Amino acid sequence: MKTFAELNFPGRLIAVEGLDGSGKSTQIYLLKRWLELQDLKVYFSEWNSSELVKSATSKGKKRELLTPTTFSLIHATDFADRYERHLVPLLRAGYLVLCDRYIFTAFGRDVTRGCPPEWVRGIYSFAALPDLTFFFKSDLEVSLKRILEGRPQLKYFEAGMDLRLSTDPYESFRIFQGRILEQYLAMSTEFNFLVVDANQLVERQQAVVRELVAQQLDLGRFRRAESVPAPAPADLRKKAKVEEPVP
Amino acid sequence: MKNVAKNHIVVPRRSARRFYGHGIPGVDLDQLAGKLIVVEGADGSGRSTQIVRLVQWMENTGHATVQVGLKRSTLVSEELEQAQHGNILSRTTLSLFYATDFADQLENIILPALKAGFVVLADRYIYTLMARDMVRGMDEAWLKNLYGVALEPDIVFYLNVPPEELVQRTFAKNAALDYWESGMDLGLSRDMFDSFMKYQTTMQATFRRLQASYGFTIVDGMRPLDVVNTELRKKISAVVAGK
Repeated sequence: MKTFAELNFPGRLIAVEGLDGSGKSTQIYLLKRWLELQDLKVYFSEWNSSELVKSATSKGKKRELLTPTTFSLIHATDFADRYERHLVPLLRAGYLVLCDRYIFTAFGRDVTRGCPPEWVRGIYSFAALPDLTFFFKSDLEVSLKRILEGRPQLKYFEAGMDLRLSTDPYESFRIFQGRILEQYLAMSTEFNFLVVDANQLVERQQAVVRELVAQQLDLGRFRRAESVPAPAPADLRKKAKVEEPVP
Repeated sequence: MKNVAKNHIVVPRRSARRFYGHGIPGVDLDQLAGKLIVVEGADGSGRSTQIVRLVQWMENTGHATVQVGLKRSTLVSEELEQAQHGNILSRTTLSLFYATDFADQLENIILPALKAGFVVLADRYIYTLMARDMVRGMDEAWLKNLYGVALEPDIVFYLNVPPEELVQRTFAKNAALDYWESGMDLGLSRDMFDSFMKYQTTMQATFRRLQASYGFTIVDGMRPLDVVNTELRKKISAVVAGK
């Protein structure tokens, strides 16, 4: 498996990974704002967000129709749709692509659900590796607290209830997240995760992220070309003048 | 006395079962008492007609049956239909969408039915899906891993009918060629007839390649329906009896 840089794409892909409640979405949002305000070409893509596949996924989740295998496959379908229609073309066009979750989410979750690791990895083998992968490493208790503080309505699959770990959704969620964390930690070295201590304050984490991005990518390369407005055709210009309101 | 009591219903012998690859986690293969019979072939090969007849015959001989086919899952069939209609999905996506449709039926229909001792008749299986993707340039090893979830059937029939005949049968029924069955998405030719012939020829060559790995029973679909059906019954009887 190669990164987009190794495959000679002009664009670069930055992914964030971490448990629910690790604060990764906040961090990638702040990173995105920072890059956008420098007038760079940025595209953001979120896990499980392809329009077409979404309706099937939400039906499957609502009606609890999904097994570990179909859960895995439907998320792979979603990923492939975004990958082929958005990520790859934009990376070809020299964009900085930011992904809130990438293939490692599937590796962690699906394997925790009992899918064979080689099978899952084989399915995602069409995807290139991110150029930078930030892993927001929070203590399990910190993540759990962030999510569970408000005692929210935990969704069936989100809590890993399909694994029958516990009949209590909160307990099931704890066990499930703990196992996913183990998977993440096991992948950390293999996939060169840039580990960010997610127990710190938001600002401190963001400073680390921005510094690493600036260090590892030549950001100037992704600046939008100075957009010189094309001159309007002569007749249009004339017409526009006529219609100009008299002050 | 004994003969009367038996009532001529053949009680199936257990099959040796295996998944092609990693399979479905947590399935006890020894519990799958039923039989899985697959009929493959292009549109116009007589596939569906043969299956209707086989179901009637099986039920008549005392076997409970269940039918499955492509794009019939509760989970994604509607979305898949919609996607195909708009022709908006790229190849890996479409491939995975079909795999999801297959896996949903495998886990929710095929495996439970086999567990309950039913004869499952599949109107196409993973081979059509693999062949279609291979023709579209997908990696064979990737597909084999993906469809490693599939259970090996007891028998797979491939109804072989040359493209020249397929086109005649299609026109006799519809007077129009199907966009996908003509492989129009591949840009083989702007002429739909040419595209159909080229696509179906390539599909047949791909099936011959898959035959080497998966061992289909090739059935000559050029013969009359009854003759083909008799051959299928004979082979299925042998499978059910565990021969």
